[in-house]
Amino acid sequence: MEANQNPVYKDKAYGQFRELSYSYQDGGAFEKTVGYHGEADRLVLQQAWDLFRERIESARQLVISGKVSPVVYYMEKNLLDPLNLSMMAGVALWRVKLHLKPGFFKRLNEKTLQKYADAFNITTEQLKKVD
Amino acid sequence: METTKTIINYTHRQAGHCESGATSNLFKFNGLEISEPMAFGIGNGLYFSYIPFLKIQFAPMISFRNLPNTVFRRSTSYMGIEATVVKKIKDPKEAMEMLDRNLAQGIPTGCQVGVFQLTFFPPEYRMHYNMHNLVVFGKEGNMYHVSDTVLEFPQLITYDDLVRVRYAKGAFAPQGKMYWINHAIENPVDLKPAIILGIKKTVYEMIGIPFPLIGVKGLRWMARDIRKWPKKHGNDTASFYLGQILRMAEDFGTGGAGFRYIYGAFLKEAGELFGGHQELLEASDMMGKTANKWREFTYMGARNCKNRAKPEEDYGTLSEKLLEIANDEEKVYQKLKKIKF
Repeated sequence: MEANQNPVYKDKAYGQFRELSYSYQDGGAFEKTVGYHGEADRLVLQQAWDLFRERIESARQLVISGKVSPVVYYMEKNLLDPLNLSMMAGVALWRVKLHLKPGFFKRLNEKTLQKYADAFNITTEQLKKVD
Repeated sequence: METTKTIINYTHRQAGHCESGATSNLFKFNGLEISEPMAFGIGNGLYFSYIPFLKIQFAPMISFRNLPNTVFRRSTSYMGIEATVVKKIKDPKEAMEMLDRNLAQGIPTGCQVGVFQLTFFPPEYRMHYNMHNLVVFGKEGNMYHVSDTVLEFPQLITYDDLVRVRYAKGAFAPQGKMYWINHAIENPVDLKPAIILGIKKTVYEMIGIPFPLIGVKGLRWMARDIRKWPKKHGNDTASFYLGQILRMAEDFGTGGAGFRYIYGAFLKEAGELFGGHQELLEASDMMGKTANKWREFTYMGARNCKNRAKPEEDYGTLSEKLLEIANDEEKVYQKLKKIKF
């Protein structure tokens, strides 16, 4: 964790808020400091988000080429996997896995569409296409 | 529409850990001055579990904290303070009405929420993590005043957003859980028995549970797994998994090094409270050094993540470092186990 006044880090994308962190010096003093995130934290955060963005982008391309259903794109966008999506939408896991294919997705009724839309916090119209 | 305005005179203090921070702030509101590490230690915040078969955001689930609400529940019950925990409310409307009633009576109320939809949180920190805690202390029309101890200042959130985060779905869904302290604490509370109970329980949870994925055993298991990752999953995935450990240990509201600093601070405070208890102070020193090793581990890991294809530190070194940490931690718990108060 870096010190409070660190103009270099301030305008970077990550770690825009100051967090409380503890540290320990030999001799027995635990210290509290409020500061921006350090280089190490920033790096792993950057790495994770690079991967998420990559996944979202590749999902979008797959949807556009018609290989998978838009559910995949929104699932990736919300950082979910099929298991978590099944928990969030209240649809059984095996059904979720079917709905990732475009053929099964097209046959979905309004009710199930609405469940997915609620889980992603969008409307059913938006769910049918990628933005 | 009528605009009601009730804001309770509640002091927001930033803390390293969301729940122990909320707990210590609630105690302060009710007239018991208690620091964050103290609440954390008595309420058994320290924990470790590694669940490789459950994936959270595409990486194995690692938790440095106890189950939600443990800190509040245990710290109040060990200290003998009357508190209410409502575990589950089916109807969101009813849950919000209950919250409003509490606010009207002047009781700041803690809520368990999911992080992903939390509007005031920086976007890059939003993940599907349902064990976050915040305290609602005021209502103004459609807006709620909330104190999230991870952030520096109190925040505002709308009614709809609050409902959404309180009813976030997924693993460990909050289901509208809320908790509060019933009335002001008038009698002075003797912390000593509570501290002893808290330490005993933590020691049990870290070395006593006969299950290989929890506590120090879980740490060793993870250390052995790290060595296998690059062969099993390839360098990219291994580095991402490692990143997940580091993010869990340092970024997500931990005060650093997976709460080890906070626990060390607790042991130090406890030692001073027991009148310079030598063994407790020694244990605190050991814990602090372990925490520093955790931080070294983070830096090593981050260097590894930086250069994914050709890791500077290979996974064997990291694994050894982690095993060393596990050994050190076990020594601390063994020491705490033997202490006679």
